[in-house]
Amino acid sequence: MMIHYRFLLEELRYGGKQVLTFVVCVALSIATLTALNSFRRDIHGSLIDEARALQGGDIIIHAHQPISEELEGTIDTLAQEQDFQQQSTLEFYTVALSEDKDTSLFSSIKAVESSYPFFGTIEIASGRKLGEVLKPGSVVVAQEVLERLDLAVGGLLNIGDVAFEIADVVTFESMRPVSFLTLGPRIFVSMADVDRLGLLGRGSRVEHEILIQLADPANADRLSETLSAVATPRVERVETAKNARSRVKVFFDNLLFFLSCISILTLMLSGIGMQGSLSAILYQKQNVIAVTKAFGASNRYLLIQYLAMVSFMGACGSVIGVIAGYLIKRLFPLLFRDLLPQDVGYAFHPVDALEGIVLGIFVVTVFTLLPLHRLGAVKPVMIFRHETGSEKPGAAPLLAGIICTVFLILLVVRQIDDLKIGIFFVIGLILLIGTVALAASASLWLLKRSTLPTLALRQSAKSLYRPGNASRSIVITLTSAISVLLLIFLLKLNLFATFIESYPENAPNLFCIDIQQDQKDLFQSVVGEEVVMFPVIRARLLSINNTMINAEQERQRKTDNLGREFNLTYRETLLEDEIISDGNSLFGDSKSLPSGVVALSVLDSIAEIGEIGLHDRLRFNIQGVEIDAQVTSIRSRTKSRLYPFFYFVFDSGTLEAAPQTFFAAMHLPKSLIPDMITAITAQLPNVSTINVADMADRFGQLMKRLSVIVTFFASFSIMAGCLILVSTIFATRLDRIKETVYYKVLGADSSIVLRILSYEHAMLAFLSSLMAVLFAEAAAWLICRNVFDIAYHPHWHVAALTVLSSIILLVLIGLASSVGIIRQRPAVYLQQQNSV
Amino acid sequence: MSSPILKAAHVSKHYNIGERRAVVLHNVSLELEPGEFAVISGASGSGKTTLLTILSGLDKPSNGRVWLADEDITDLDENGLAPLRNRLIGFVFQAFHLVPSLTSLENIMFPAELNRDPEASEKASHLLNRVGLWEQRDNRPEQLSGGEKQRVAICRALINNPRLVFADEPTGNLDSENSREVVELLLELQQEFNTTLLLATHSSAITDRADRILSLHDGRLVKNDIRP
Ligand SMILES: Nc1ncnc2c1ncn2[C@@H]1O[C@H](COP(=O)(O)OP(=O)(O)OP(=O)(O)O)[C@@H](O)[C@H]1O
Ligand SMILES: [Mg+2]
Repeated sequence: MMIHYRFLLEELRYGGKQVLTFVVCVALSIATLTALNSFRRDIHGSLIDEARALQGGDIIIHAHQPISEELEGTIDTLAQEQDFQQQSTLEFYTVALSEDKDTSLFSSIKAVESSYPFFGTIEIASGRKLGEVLKPGSVVVAQEVLERLDLAVGGLLNIGDVAFEIADVVTFESMRPVSFLTLGPRIFVSMADVDRLGLLGRGSRVEHEILIQLADPANADRLSETLSAVATPRVERVETAKNARSRVKVFFDNLLFFLSCISILTLMLSGIGMQGSLSAILYQKQNVIAVTKAFGASNRYLLIQYLAMVSFMGACGSVIGVIAGYLIKRLFPLLFRDLLPQDVGYAFHPVDALEGIVLGIFVVTVFTLLPLHRLGAVKPVMIFRHETGSEKPGAAPLLAGIICTVFLILLVVRQIDDLKIGIFFVIGLILLIGTVALAASASLWLLKRSTLPTLALRQSAKSLYRPGNASRSIVITLTSAISVLLLIFLLKLNLFATFIESYPENAPNLFCIDIQQDQKDLFQSVVGEEVVMFPVIRARLLSINNTMINAEQERQRKTDNLGREFNLTYRETLLEDEIISDGNSLFGDSKSLPSGVVALSVLDSIAEIGEIGLHDRLRFNIQGVEIDAQVTSIRSRTKSRLYPFFYFVFDSGTLEAAPQTFFAAMHLPKSLIPDMITAITAQLPNVSTINVADMADRFGQLMKRLSVIVTFFASFSIMAGCLILVSTIFATRLDRIKETVYYKVLGADSSIVLRILSYEHAMLAFLSSLMAVLFAEAAAWLICRNVFDIAYHPHWHVAALTVLSSIILLVLIGLASSVGIIRQRPAVYLQQQNSV
Repeated sequence: MSSPILKAAHVSKHYNIGERRAVVLHNVSLELEPGEFAVISGASGSGKTTLLTILSGLDKPSNGRVWLADEDITDLDENGLAPLRNRLIGFVFQAFHLVPSLTSLENIMFPAELNRDPEASEKASHLLNRVGLWEQRDNRPEQLSGGEKQRVAICRALINNPRLVFADEPTGNLDSENSREVVELLLELQQEFNTTLLLATHSSAITDRADRILSLHDGRLVKNDIRP
């Protein structure tokens, strides 16, 4: 059937602001997702998709202590039999010193063999291969090392007591594509030099790795299983490149996940906006449609005309959305700067545009189903009985709802690649909307029954119940929209508040670890002042009340896990920032303990994770010796989480014989820290120093950057939310205009008309945002407590601001949509009312 | 003789439709005495509605001036007109124009409430009883028949005891039985409240009862007769 182009053009012209709103909604719905998906392809393509390049081998064996002889032997034997290659690496942090030992730099040392790596690339400034350049006695360093230590290629660099010649500069490592997740720049040393580096006392802070290259990568799973069987449980981890977790991948997966969620919300909100504005367009035309039908136009004919119109608007919106996506992506280098290497593409490919368009088509289809379906419900009889708006909704809304839900689930699943989370996400939303619907009905019911003091208030309240009113759906839409937006912000605020805690003024800002028993005096004299040194004994937790710790389960935890190696200590008193939250004193009455069991004080945070309570029995393995302890107290910390802390504190005397090193934490003026590190490293090369102040700064910067990124994406959701406001208000504008004209005819002056209009919108905004605040606070609280495991602050001022700005925004939009009538004589409008 | 309650001098109205100018009212001048019942008659399209809206201040004339109770309303802004519309004038329309969100009683009360009349509710109830719609007091306009709507509209027009009531084809949407009732009601109430009534209609049955007949033809006032 033919499309009536003149009709189409007229409709578009008449639709005016609504058409614009619709187009912008379409554009908004796809813009961020298009940019984000393009970005995801960049990152995957260049950084994290090539698992072997990220891991350096087909199979990776990982341990925080030297690989056991048994495992090494098995690998050697199998390597002979199955003809595969292997090599070892070591990685640890230490402080490197300049040639004259007057400046120092916390660096990440990696010792490698000449064949390193099997997969991936390491780019060297001279263009040669790492193995060719890196000879015993030399190092290859990141540019930052040269800059910070004021060195040049050919110069000397000190690690521990050993001076190395700087052979070259490393410019890119595919195993470490981004630097913000690491604490110091890279220094490559030759495996042959490892013994000279004096790793004594570094304990488990050295990562030992064996990389395996297979002739046929398909054998990876089988070999990995064989090796796992030999590996020491909980100590040695055998993984294939495909299964191995990479911090980079995890980081970007999480970031993209969060941003995807926000973008999907933007899409949903824009979809609702689309629906609203199309409904408004059709509502305005209701009489014309009825008349057209009365003259014999079939539903099919009308449907085709409006379908053509929607397609046209959708196409415009999609094209604008893709262009917007392209422009948004142009901002990414700025947005993600410091997070990604310079050479990540940031290009916008035809496939990105295509994806955007396809997404646009889907979004438009799904969200215009219902309004277009309602076209069929417009009956010619409405011309005669204009004021009756009682049509039965039928099954259509339900069906449209189901289609929307299915679409969203598919989208979420595709976008975040996780069916379970996708379904949770959508079920959560449906639950939210269902609850909101109930609450909306309840609050509107209450409002109807309340007696309001002034005429304007009463009148505006009554307007909410005008026949055929959309108040309930407006409140539902607004509440849902505002609550998800507020939820994002509350989560963001809480997450970042937890992490961007400014570093406390007097907290220790320099940590020294691995001080040996016989170095205590020397250390004291280098530092100059009296420092408290805590003994550190490395151990693993074996069982709680005879229930064995399950290493596999523990590794799944998002919080700290009980399977890892812990630092135990012993002392007699509480630290300055500690209080006892459960129990009488640190170690209770030691006489009451069974023989062979020692007293133990546990920090509340780990007690919560392990569900450890007073009097529970914990068994530790301290470097081969097992020891039973009974919990005599639970401690809490009163100050910043950045203070050093120990989960497990024993009574002095119980562990004094165990092999131990010492830990010192001190507070220095920030400017003196580098020199102190240099001095300590020069005198005590095996002692590791950690500039906590610097680390906190870096971490804070990272968090701020992430916060900016999240805010950037969330701002699109807010825009979509505003469009919902606009479209819902415009959708019911005609009813309000009609009433306003009547008020004026009956002698209402502009002040009372303005008041009635403002109050009506203010009531809607107040109801919606108030409920939204309650929902968002509740949801954010639940998520912070149960998913993120962080403390929750309600940020009531943000909530109040949300309510206030919703009211202001809605009132402004409401007035803007109908204020034109106030200054004009009513005849024109009355005539319009007559003529229909 | 008392001064006229309504006076129009050389009122013209034209609309610009694209390039073309359509003159709808030509130089209309008239005066109404307090308590009069005047009818504007004329063929469809002769300008009755246009004249009524201009005389009542719902629209502005293109030329000429209009006085209501000695006040020149021609250049008054909407806020200046508001108290006049509320207290001095009442309107009854062919299409009723009741506020859809209000019940019959509330519709009638509304002008009185705007006027801060503490007896708004009593007066409205009294009027509703008077027109026999007490049972329908809680019905919304959509729940009323055409005749009932118009009776409510008449009550609403009268609640503030206006000196002038404008009615544009008040029976245009009603059947003959209802029309008769509505006209009777209007006239009875006009007598009771002693208001001036200016009514536009085609109906000769109504015209016959008027004190004054104003005839429009193509926008010109061709007849201004006072019946004996
Ligand atoms: N807004 C407008 N723009 C242009 N012309 C108009 C407008 N309003 C009215 N007219 C014209 O003015 C003329 C008079 O219209 P009006 O409504 O006053 O007639 P009427 O006497 O009330 O007719 P009826 O008895 O059919 O109600 C008509 O010819 C109409 O076409
Ligand atoms: Mg007329």
